[in-house]
Amino acid sequence: MIMAEVKLKLKKKPKFPLEADSITPDNFAGKTLNEIKKLPLYHARDLVTIGDFFDVSGKAEDVANTKIIIDGDVSNVKRVGEKMTGGEIIINSDVGMHVGNTMSGGKILVKGNADDWAGAMLQGGELEIEGNAGHYVGSAYRGFWQGMQNGVIRVKGSVGNESMLWAKSSKPSNKWPTLYCGSASSFLGLHNHGGTMVVEGDADRCIGADQSRGTIVIKGKISRLLPSFKKLDDVNEITLPNGEIITGKFAQYSGDHSISKETAGRLYIAIK
Amino acid sequence: MSQKKIITHHDVLCPFCGTLCDDLEVDVADNEVVEMRNSCQIGTKKFFSSNPSGHRYLKPQIKEKGSFRDATWDEALDKAADILLKAKRPLLYGFSSTECEAQNVGVELAEYLRAILDNTASVCHGPSLLAIQDVGAPLSTLGEYKNRADLVIFWGSNPVHAHPRHLSRYSDYVRGYFRKDGRNDRFIVVVDPRKTHTAQIADLYIQVKPNEDYELLNAIRAVLRGVELDAKEVSGVPMEEIKKLVEILKKCHFGVIFFGMGLTQSVSHHRNVDTAICLTRELNDHTKFLLTPMRGHYNVAGANQVFTWTTGYAYSIDFSRGYGRYNPGEFSSVDLLMKDEVDATLIVASDPASNFPAGAVRNMFKHPIIAIEPHHTPTSVYADVILPPAFAGIECEGTAYRMDKVPLRLRKVKEAPEECLPDREILERLLEKVKEKEGK
Amino acid sequence: MSLNNLILLTGRTINQGVALEGGKNTKENVRAAGICTFDKEDFKKLDCIAGTPVKVTTDYGEVLVYSTITEEGPHPGIIFIPMGPWGNQVVNPDTQGCGTPTFKGMKAKVEVVKDGRVLDAIELIGKLKEA
Repeated sequence: MIMAEVKLKLKKKPKFPLEADSITPDNFAGKTLNEIKKLPLYHARDLVTIGDFFDVSGKAEDVANTKIIIDGDVSNVKRVGEKMTGGEIIINSDVGMHVGNTMSGGKILVKGNADDWAGAMLQGGELEIEGNAGHYVGSAYRGFWQGMQNGVIRVKGSVGNESMLWAKSSKPSNKWPTLYCGSASSFLGLHNHGGTMVVEGDADRCIGADQSRGTIVIKGKISRLLPSFKKLDDVNEITLPNGEIITGKFAQYSGDHSISKETAGRLYIAIK
Repeated sequence: MSQKKIITHHDVLCPFCGTLCDDLEVDVADNEVVEMRNSCQIGTKKFFSSNPSGHRYLKPQIKEKGSFRDATWDEALDKAADILLKAKRPLLYGFSSTECEAQNVGVELAEYLRAILDNTASVCHGPSLLAIQDVGAPLSTLGEYKNRADLVIFWGSNPVHAHPRHLSRYSDYVRGYFRKDGRNDRFIVVVDPRKTHTAQIADLYIQVKPNEDYELLNAIRAVLRGVELDAKEVSGVPMEEIKKLVEILKKCHFGVIFFGMGLTQSVSHHRNVDTAICLTRELNDHTKFLLTPMRGHYNVAGANQVFTWTTGYAYSIDFSRGYGRYNPGEFSSVDLLMKDEVDATLIVASDPASNFPAGAVRNMFKHPIIAIEPHHTPTSVYADVILPPAFAGIECEGTAYRMDKVPLRLRKVKEAPEECLPDREILERLLEKVKEKEGK
Repeated sequence: MSLNNLILLTGRTINQGVALEGGKNTKENVRAAGICTFDKEDFKKLDCIAGTPVKVTTDYGEVLVYSTITEEGPHPGIIFIPMGPWGNQVVNPDTQGCGTPTFKGMKAKVEVVKDGRVLDAIELIGKLKEA
């Protein structure tokens, strides 16, 4: 499928963070380049436009067939891809906070690192980060007790603290929010009620804290297991709720028993 | 020698810590505090510090060529308004050591300027508020604890040093309605990495390893659920001690956990509080159990109240897009300063130069600072404009909220120096000046 | 003499509270907050008398303070600096995305500096103003 491409090239690095929630395929779809240039951005307390900070070229189509390519150092640009429902965004550098938050469809690729809150409140779609991500990847925003509810986040590098906070799955709706990452900081899967997490490498402490149900797989080492997790039988294979099968020898733990005496929550740590 | 006429004020509130003692007696003669009764060392010092001294600012100050000169209020407010209007991302910070009406004007000013608005909870009990937003909290008032609690736990809190009269008025020595035998009717537990002075007068001291409070609370919760754990020891505490503690928790009639910076300022901050709250709630399956954060400043709880009524949020609020948005970590003062994202600060009733990490102070100093501050402090000394206030609770009235969110009325026991204005008046005049300059 | 592998805690003390109400730029304040408190046995390893200046170093900075022996121990491996300008030279400013710096629990090492000069608050903070 050949998508229409809109190219954004950053003209000058913003002095303060730039809030770019208007940069989504949904907002660009069906608009001319001039209309896109006039879309609003916030630079500290100044209301500016996309045209003020970016050179805009290319063409937009409908949402599903619009691909936005962003060049230049946007490490200080926040909220790119917010609430998008389709289409694609490719970011060729590090990106600021809140990338892809609340998206429900489409795909975002970050060819660099992402700041905190990447993929927060994800409702669907795919977010891929080639570098490291900050804290709160795929997490719920402050005060929400349901965070990521569907979709996939892939981070090649590390994710920060409290990633997948309050993640919630739904068996009847076949929604299995999933995070794949290279390594994880502390509190991965905090308050988890159904999310799936697979860590290729090591994870820090308090993994699965307050998990009521869900599946967390650590293929490397964990720095300290929570005392409220209890050892069950070892396994040679794990079937993730989304159907994927992981083979290898793993120690199996149930938890978090600080929530309840019996629990469907599971944590798997590779046996080397 | 002439007899000075002494006026004694009774039931005066102490404007220092979150215990907000309401039984102080202050003797004033010739508009100077001459004697205090019932106050702790720190409260006494605070009242006496309002007397004339070389440390107090008596007139507005403007810095010119590296040193301060006296200025009129008009001049100083004008300069301050210029600084705030020129900035793109100004920060209004502090508010914890002043009264509620002033805090209210602060919100209005921040909203008008589309600035960042924050208070000292940001570096103190902000994590407690974050935890309460996630899991709620079973709270009560100090009077209830005084009258009913037979089990009192201080977790990461050292009231002998930080809240000196808390123990004698509410939590340890005081006789209560159902605790008529005072200290003998209570069992005190202290959890801390050091055997603090508070731990030394407790019935049970549990030494927890620094940064491992979460794991210990987590283990206690699981044992409380009747789960037999695999570990023999958690956070430096043997499993036998943990099991004994759980029995003590279950068997009390009315328990309370008072917690402090040991939880909020260690690694995992708000999650330490989150799990402590969950433990407290779960204990109510067995007995009556509540918790209360030991708020540091006498009116930081008030700042959280006022900010919340008016904006919906308690601290770390960004108005840059024309409405309030809340996200500690993104809009919190230290984070913003560490990234050098703020280009001017208005500091009210606080001293960030002393209390923020060095990196944040370094960046704060790169930009103009307006300080509403009665005394020489590291913040005021390096400010560009100083607006001298009257002491709330000594030289002007107002409302303050205690650590348990009970509102009490601050008293006025003496007059402020002629050119020192109440905080709320300074902020009102500043707001007026700012509006005037924008032709509104 | 030096000590490694320590954990640094910061927090309130009543003396620091009294001193700050009396004027943060006073000698009283230096003696109240410009100090580092050691466990009794740990301190013996430093082989100096209480009050000798020591340099405390963490991943975040270094500061010179007066050494004292704890009344709130034993706490081997833990040192304590009261909250304030001296402690804030060496605390962890990272908030881990939650807004509050990590004022407690930093890894630290300590070195005796017999002729060291412990700065008062104004001078110490003044160094942050330079340039």
